[in-house]
Amino acid sequence: MEYPKEIETRKWVICPFCEASCLHRELLPNQELICERCDTTVLVHIPEKSLQPPFALSLTGLLLLLLANTTPILTFEVVGRSQSDYMITGIIELFRQGYWLIGLLVSFCGIIAPAVFFLCAFYLGFALVLNLRPPGLKWAVLALRSVRPWNLIPVYSIATLVAVVKLKMLGEVNWQVGARFILGVAVMSILCEQFSVRQIANEQLREMGVNPEE
Amino acid sequence: MSLSDRSRVNLSRALVVTGLILYIPSNIMPVMTMSIVGKVDALTVLGGVHELYDSGLPLISGVVFLASFVLPFAKLAALAWVLFLHGTPTLRRERGKVFKIVHLIGSWSMIDIFLIAVLAAVGQLGALASVRAEPGCIVFAVVLLCSLVAAEIYKPRLIWEDF
Repeated sequence: MEYPKEIETRKWVICPFCEASCLHRELLPNQELICERCDTTVLVHIPEKSLQPPFALSLTGLLLLLLANTTPILTFEVVGRSQSDYMITGIIELFRQGYWLIGLLVSFCGIIAPAVFFLCAFYLGFALVLNLRPPGLKWAVLALRSVRPWNLIPVYSIATLVAVVKLKMLGEVNWQVGARFILGVAVMSILCEQFSVRQIANEQLREMGVNPEE
Repeated sequence: MSLSDRSRVNLSRALVVTGLILYIPSNIMPVMTMSIVGKVDALTVLGGVHELYDSGLPLISGVVFLASFVLPFAKLAALAWVLFLHGTPTLRRERGKVFKIVHLIGSWSMIDIFLIAVLAAVGQLGALASVRAEPGCIVFAVVLLCSLVAAEIYKPRLIWEDF
């Protein structure tokens, strides 16, 4: 089948969701190329200034995650004896009780995936803001896309809230500084996720020769 | 190693069926045992929801009920529907939308797993307070993993394939 010459000479872009081929066209700032088949944003033209917030958010998220893992989230007190809760202590306890599958799941979704997510978002943001092509950028984009559904820090923060409600029925619970960091990571995570979808679809990435669909 | 499209569909179907079968025991078996000053409580997923509701916290119990009970089933049912219609031209666009939603909200069902981790961390006060995970949490985790992995294996482009 022969296509009109105009179509033949234009570039094709693959939809990241349904993998349909979409015809590339020039985009104005903030304009999006939407897949006709599944309504997914395939390409977006992000103005240079708008690249800085996700870069800053990912760096903040990374630092907050580090702090959330090194400070206690809460203390629970029963009859004068108290116990602090760190993210890692719950995982260690689950391993100690022989529930390594649960321990692995919690450590992956609560620590490893968020760390990889923020690192990759930071690396991508760094490349886009400085208009550089550092090594492994395509892998960073692929890793960012793969770990995104497994970054469950916002769910962890809600689970902590539910745990506190439960524990308050049984003893005294005091919030510690780590809880603020967890909440901070959760907020950064939600914001960064919104930005990262646009960042991966950024036209500038394709211009830099990084095409995660290839 | 890359899976063929047919293997992807078959594997996803197997995982969804496994998840649906295990969904029943995951809600019957206790997921943890809490022992506070001699009082021992074996909690199931729904038992925890009930306890929160009885304590005058309907909003939080509603969130946990949705995340731990409704969502895992809704996700498996949605995936089963997408996989059942695979290869047919019926409602392709709608299936794509449902698949997107499954990806977006599916992870919230992990709330109970994290809850066990937080409670286990503080429940190390010997005879005064202890929290032990129970085999039910493994079954619950397997249900969640089945739906998460099935959604990862089944590529959305397969919705528009005709085999």
